[in-house]
Amino acid sequence: MNQTTIGVIGIGRIGRMHAENLVHAVPDAAVKAVVSPRIDPAWADRLGIPVRTTNVDRILSDPEIEAVVITAPSGAHVELIKRAAAAGKHIFCEKPVAFEPGPIEQARSAAAAAGVNLQVGFNRRFDPSLLRLWQAVQAGEVGEVHSVRITNRDPKAPPVDFVKRSGGLFFDFAIHDFDTMRFLSGSEIVELFAVGAVLVDPEIGKAGDVDTAVITMRLANGALGVIDCSRQTNYGYDQRFEVFGSKGSVVVDNTTPTSVVTSSARGIVGDKPHETFVERYREAFIAELSAFVAAVRQGSPVLVGANDALAAVRVAAAAKASHETHLPVRLAEEDQRSSGGLRR
Amino acid sequence: MRTITAGVLGAGRIGRIHADNLLRMDGVRLKTIADPYVDFEGWPPPGVATSPDPAAVLEDNEIEAILVCSPTPSHADFAEAAARAGKHVFCEKPIALDADRVRATLGIVQTAGVKLQVGFNRRFDPTFSRARQAVVDGEVGDVYLVRVTARDPALPPAGYVKGSGGMFADMTIHDFDMVRYLSGCEIEEVHAYGAVLVDPAIGEAGDIDTAVLSLRLSNGGLAFIENSRQAVFGYDQRVEVLGSKGAIEADNETPARARLSTGAGVRYENPLYFFLERYQRSFFVELEAFFASIRDDREPPVGGKDGLIALLVCQAANRSLLENRPVRVEPLGPPALKRA
Repeated sequence: MNQTTIGVIGIGRIGRMHAENLVHAVPDAAVKAVVSPRIDPAWADRLGIPVRTTNVDRILSDPEIEAVVITAPSGAHVELIKRAAAAGKHIFCEKPVAFEPGPIEQARSAAAAAGVNLQVGFNRRFDPSLLRLWQAVQAGEVGEVHSVRITNRDPKAPPVDFVKRSGGLFFDFAIHDFDTMRFLSGSEIVELFAVGAVLVDPEIGKAGDVDTAVITMRLANGALGVIDCSRQTNYGYDQRFEVFGSKGSVVVDNTTPTSVVTSSARGIVGDKPHETFVERYREAFIAELSAFVAAVRQGSPVLVGANDALAAVRVAAAAKASHETHLPVRLAEEDQRSSGGLRR
Repeated sequence: MRTITAGVLGAGRIGRIHADNLLRMDGVRLKTIADPYVDFEGWPPPGVATSPDPAAVLEDNEIEAILVCSPTPSHADFAEAAARAGKHVFCEKPIALDADRVRATLGIVQTAGVKLQVGFNRRFDPTFSRARQAVVDGEVGDVYLVRVTARDPALPPAGYVKGSGGMFADMTIHDFDMVRYLSGCEIEEVHAYGAVLVDPAIGEAGDIDTAVLSLRLSNGGLAFIENSRQAVFGYDQRVEVLGSKGAIEADNETPARARLSTGAGVRYENPLYFFLERYQRSFFVELEAFFASIRDDREPPVGGKDGLIALLVCQAANRSLLENRPVRVEPLGPPALKRA
């Protein structure tokens, strides 16, 4: 069987990474075209990508291209999904699909109507450590789930310009945690309480956002959850997870670039965690694209789709509302319906 | 170093631990242990007097300091009696479950001009002291976020829960104090989620066995606490402080540091089983600090006010659980009325 031919729409930091991963690490995929206002020809040459264009239609009208990876700016995601679906292309879209449920529902409908797959870039679900944790929960190794903790902290606060257009901490940053909470617990978030603070950078506060947050929650299976977020650790990308239950707990700790430990009279020193999500989730970024391509080739459904994007955005909206009203917020009944995104 | 003569009220589990520690401590002479319900056969060692009558301790002019280790409902009575008798008081936590009663006791202690230390022993654990030191020394910078994970290894005996004052007053109170200790900040507001997941009988008794709480601190920082009455792998006691320069974290302590690697995987030791094992050292250090504050005429490192504040945070947490909303912690208010 031939390789699956793919076009990548949007060649920013993430788009470049996905294109490189497809070329180097997904043998069943071939990247034929990239769309972006700015493409480094030397980079495209190195990857052997023949078509470089500023025109999306060039990709969408190419019958050879079966699937697209959408890594354009967030604001363009839904429109691009609709057009790609109408053109019969399978779609991998980076998160966030959109910041509101309505447009995500439109994207979901467009993909469903066209009979194409729509996978969403919740990369953590494909991380080997988180998968192992998920399997432990599924296999009953922790027994009944009693509480879930997610620690998500960035190494350095982003520039305020980014914060302004990012959708804010709950929509841009904690959105991964909301999906991970659903994924690890195998349950839906029923109610939450969010406290936020501006501690890292007052400019983030002036832009109307927070840089530190603790979000506690009740899950549909009766368990409790807590997510703690910070925009800045100074010691690297801090990603830790713990599921605690009636039979014990499973913990995912930080991973480090090397395992070297130096002991001296001044103390014992090891590596900091990886510096960014690119290094920390390297395997996950490859695995999510492998899974996307495999689903296209096998005609099987995606492992994480629009329903999951929808659920996460609804939780993010509830978290923002809770922070703003300073009260717990219940998610509406329709928000809690299990979305099928947990199957694997 | 001047030797201080001490007496102990209550020879239950914690009373015996404290008494044994006093017997090993320089600069302290344990003279008398009183407990009306205990048969002193085989313990304490010769040289320590025993009595079924608390007066044998309270009315002994030679005794300068008293450790109140009796059952909780009598803590306030004995602390007050000891203070009135002019003795310095070390009182196990909680002084009382009612804040007004604690205020009254603090008033009497203040009038008597004696020292009062409350048994928040975890502050004296070498690991947590080190974490606190990292904050004091500025190693983590300004405090942004504090996490306390505290899980008991096994359910308390049936019937215990009813008299315990509830999980927050019985268990989480230590964690509230730990958040205050590590951050050096006051807890301004609490929100609590609780659940009955371990044992329905606890729910039937009106209590919870699992909780997550989020807290706002007086410096603008945040904190959260995770609790469970039953971690089947052992006593789970971890803390973490994230600040502007980085984080300090304290992991569980294990009886040994051995690691077994086989084809089946790599096995580490379970945590020390429960608080007597985990906090063994802290019980000694807290008493050393108490006697040092008497000897040097300093305020004890953790006093009656800390006990009262932790209790007020508990009350806010209980209310939050009941009303499902964030609750501000009642301020300390004016000094307690002096009771004659």
